[in-house]
Amino acid sequence: MPRTGNNRQISLFEGVDRVAVILYLLLVAAGMVSIVSASYDDTISGFFSLEHFYMKQAVWIAAALGAALVILLLDARYYHMYAYYAYAAGLVLLVAVLLFGREVNGAKAWFEFGAVRVQPVEFVKIATALAVARMMSNYSFSIRRTGDLLRVAFVILLPLAIIVLQNDTGSGVVLCSFLFVLYREGLNKWICIPIILVAALFIFSFLFTPLFLLVLLVVIFTVSDAMMIGSWRAHAVFLAAVTLAAALLYLASVLFWDGALSAYVSAVIVMAAAVAVVAVYALRKNISAMFVTLALFVGSMIFVPTADMIFETILQPHQRERILSFLGIVSDPHGADYNVNQSKIAIGSGGFFGKGFMQGTQIKYNFVPEKHTDFIFCTVGEEWGFVGAMVVLGLLCALILRLMQIGERQEEPFSRIYSYCVSAILLFHVMVNVGMTVGIFPVMGIPLPFLSYGGSSLVAFTILVFIAIRLDASPRKGLMSLR
Amino acid sequence: MADNDVYVRRRILRAIVLGIFIVLALRIGYIQLVDTKYKRLAAGNVLRYEVQYAPRGEVVDRNGEYLVQSKECYDLMVVYRDIGREGFDTTRFCNIVGIERKKLESVLRNARMRPRAPTLVLNYVPKEVKLRFEECSFPGFYTVYRTVRQYPRKIGGNLLGYVGEVSEDFIKRNPEYSSGDYVGMTGVEAAYEKELRGKDGVKIVEVDTHGAIKGSYMDGAFDSVPIPGKRLTCTIDARLQAFAEELMAGKVGAVVAIEPATGEILVMASSPTYDPDELVGRERGNNYMRMLHNKRQPLYNRAVKAKYPPGSTFKLVQGLAGLQEGVLTPETQYPCHMGYSVGRVHQGCHSHASPLDLRDAVAQSCNAYFCYVFRDIIDNRKYGSVKEGIEVWGDYVRSFGYGRKLDSDFLGEGPGYVPDRAFYDKRYRGSWNSLTVLSLSIGQGELGCTPLQMANLAATIANRGYYYIPHIVKQIEGRDSIDRRFYEKQYTKVDPRYFEPIVEGMWRGVNMPGGGTSWRAYLPGLDVCGKTGTAQNPHGRDHSTFLSFAPKDNPRIAISVYVENGGFGATIALPIASLLEEYYLTDTITRPQLVEQVKAYNIYYPIYAEDRK
Repeated sequence: MPRTGNNRQISLFEGVDRVAVILYLLLVAAGMVSIVSASYDDTISGFFSLEHFYMKQAVWIAAALGAALVILLLDARYYHMYAYYAYAAGLVLLVAVLLFGREVNGAKAWFEFGAVRVQPVEFVKIATALAVARMMSNYSFSIRRTGDLLRVAFVILLPLAIIVLQNDTGSGVVLCSFLFVLYREGLNKWICIPIILVAALFIFSFLFTPLFLLVLLVVIFTVSDAMMIGSWRAHAVFLAAVTLAAALLYLASVLFWDGALSAYVSAVIVMAAAVAVVAVYALRKNISAMFVTLALFVGSMIFVPTADMIFETILQPHQRERILSFLGIVSDPHGADYNVNQSKIAIGSGGFFGKGFMQGTQIKYNFVPEKHTDFIFCTVGEEWGFVGAMVVLGLLCALILRLMQIGERQEEPFSRIYSYCVSAILLFHVMVNVGMTVGIFPVMGIPLPFLSYGGSSLVAFTILVFIAIRLDASPRKGLMSLR
Repeated sequence: MADNDVYVRRRILRAIVLGIFIVLALRIGYIQLVDTKYKRLAAGNVLRYEVQYAPRGEVVDRNGEYLVQSKECYDLMVVYRDIGREGFDTTRFCNIVGIERKKLESVLRNARMRPRAPTLVLNYVPKEVKLRFEECSFPGFYTVYRTVRQYPRKIGGNLLGYVGEVSEDFIKRNPEYSSGDYVGMTGVEAAYEKELRGKDGVKIVEVDTHGAIKGSYMDGAFDSVPIPGKRLTCTIDARLQAFAEELMAGKVGAVVAIEPATGEILVMASSPTYDPDELVGRERGNNYMRMLHNKRQPLYNRAVKAKYPPGSTFKLVQGLAGLQEGVLTPETQYPCHMGYSVGRVHQGCHSHASPLDLRDAVAQSCNAYFCYVFRDIIDNRKYGSVKEGIEVWGDYVRSFGYGRKLDSDFLGEGPGYVPDRAFYDKRYRGSWNSLTVLSLSIGQGELGCTPLQMANLAATIANRGYYYIPHIVKQIEGRDSIDRRFYEKQYTKVDPRYFEPIVEGMWRGVNMPGGGTSWRAYLPGLDVCGKTGTAQNPHGRDHSTFLSFAPKDNPRIAISVYVENGGFGATIALPIASLLEEYYLTDTITRPQLVEQVKAYNIYYPIYAEDRK
């Protein structure tokens, strides 16, 4: 039994949030099962041969659990104390890897020590989370002050820039998820919403048809407007009216004008009219929030075709590809298409109950690329079906919500902000990774937390989560008062 | 920050998290539970349907000797997608498989059009090559088990027929076949295609992304085993067939022998014939073209298709019809002094005693006698005119199986030809009489008969009045009987009681002391009955034909031999028939010098002369 500075004997696990730990362990176990199935190679003799990826992963799991123990042993104060040092060390590592690192899959993001490859970016996420938490928990910090906001933005964007230089855009963009934390800590929503909108529109304008985007936008804006203003019924009526009007217009054009108006054009006409009506309504009722929503809606409606137009007409094809590649959206358009297609086929063929452990034909016969790393979710989907996929998603969702809950019960802003950072990073990873495997997100090449094969990511996520658990488990009082 | 604001923000963030997860869950639910296309695509990725070709049924002769066997061989296939980007060692591949580089390149070009579909690279790959090929691995290439025909006796080319790959056109008409299947083209192969074909099986295997086979799908739950084709027992006697072909070598014509008591065809030899093995394998195309351009037309099955004038053998029908019509009794005598003359019309004959009764007229093959008979039939007053008379006569002739298909089980059977009233009305613009068509009386003129029809006449006389439809297959594996039509007696329009004098005439022709025309067909103790025929024709020398059965009582073989331009019936057709009868009935050959003589008898055919360049 370790002893703390107090006379009181405290168990190592006292105060540790059991729910979070259990969720973590279940996820790691699910990952292990999936990796066994995805990486079993019958040309290697012996189930327990260390040549199997899953045996290496087992070793990494042991290492991760060891790291978790160490985290729990360390005094919670150290994380606050050494946050900036960790951040600085992270930056040094990033620069070092940029200079001396090893290039894998086009990204110069790896250190190699013998057989072990380490990706510093995984640990930079932790360091950045600590630094952001430290900075924002500072007594004098106010997010409403532009200077403070810029400082935080700088702390987040500096490592991001270096990571992008490594040509590992996907991992870098993860840091954008800190917007989630900034919002929690009071960032003006009129800064958040445009950023999210622009990013979302930019990404989705490549994935969806204009009509689908328009419908999506209308629904999102109506719902968010309803959330802000409250009158749900009026908004539902509005949605129904718009839908009906667009449908009638389209039907009329098909019946009487030989289909002169396509479905998209009909929808645009109806929406233009609806915007005018809503504007007059908002003016009469003097609802400024509705104006803002309206302006944003019009803005994004204009943005979507413009972004498309810029891409399709003004830019040369090779420029287009370079930009898309720089954004981490596609590296090899055909290759990415193939990967996502195969991934969708694997998951889609799983059905309700899946094909069973080690029975996934798409996985077993290598139709899914990167099946044990970035596309590990295919194994879950194919072999365990809808049920398995929902269980894994449920565990991830529960862990994220639990971490947010943990954050909310902290007295110390540092702990709270850090917990939220962890939630944000996890959420971003899950959203992009799972979204990519089912074809609603571009391929960005970031792992699924706890499930993907890979020592760096597993150990890093473990440390990330367990620091939050350790902070939560520390005696509630007096972390700041030590200073 | 106001507490209320924090509360709202917490709620919104929680809503965002839940919203993201709900979107993901809905999307997963959609592709896993709603959209079924992914299951199909997954199967397309992983499953490969391999056809398991059923071995074609084997064919044996009436004594169980193999006529056709199936030999294993392989088709070499390629799935272009699975070859792999780095390609393969083409030189090594060509050496092992024995394919020309040019051909390989053209195959690969075609395969690239449909990269996922198996494409045939080379067929008829022998087992040794297949084993050598499998020792080295060429991704994307694989072999498929098949069988090809082989003919241990190398006999009966036209009889057995050949097997060929189905054409696009054929597949369109017969959707149960698919590209690469084999189908019987002629002969027994075509006639019994349904029985011989069997049923192909399918084996569903799982392949990995490189196209390598990983095992069977669902442990073979959906596989089907190929059902081999049925074994056929032919009515043919292989030894007799071989002997017949040997004797017919160098001559053009046909031999058909029938077992009268059953209608089973013992021999069906069309000459010239060919080695059936030549129409199997890669050289098939070349051999086929060579045969197609051979002026003697080895691919033409004369035994069932040719239209030959029957010559004097037709006198038997004439006599039978006369007896039935009552214009003739066996005792009726007619004089003959080197022929038959009415006005300017003269039908010559050879020297023999005169006058003759029916039996001796048959034995001596008197032309004049049958001119009287024929004219009496068609000029019979009770029919009013010769035009009605010839129809009555035609009905008799057709009832013997002439002028129509016999409806045997052999495809491509020809009908021969029996002229009728309409034909002569057109030919002579309505003005003709019994003298105009007098040559019909001795089996000349416009009559055309297939050797099968002639053999059937021999069988009918041997049976004294009826025949069984001649057929080539005796038994089909797994079936109790063949088609019922082969078990029914077919009666002619002549009452069986009229047959005895004709049989007697045929017997005397062979056995009478002092000699009928067929005396050389005499075999001690076998009571051979026979009738020679010497058919004039516009192509040169007379055709030689002989119609015979033996023994006289309880006949076991009825045979017709037809040799184009062979001269007198007794010259070549008779010895061939006689040797075959002896061999079949006694299993011995007592006249080896005659065999040699017959074999050495090569006929020069000006009409089949090869174009020499």
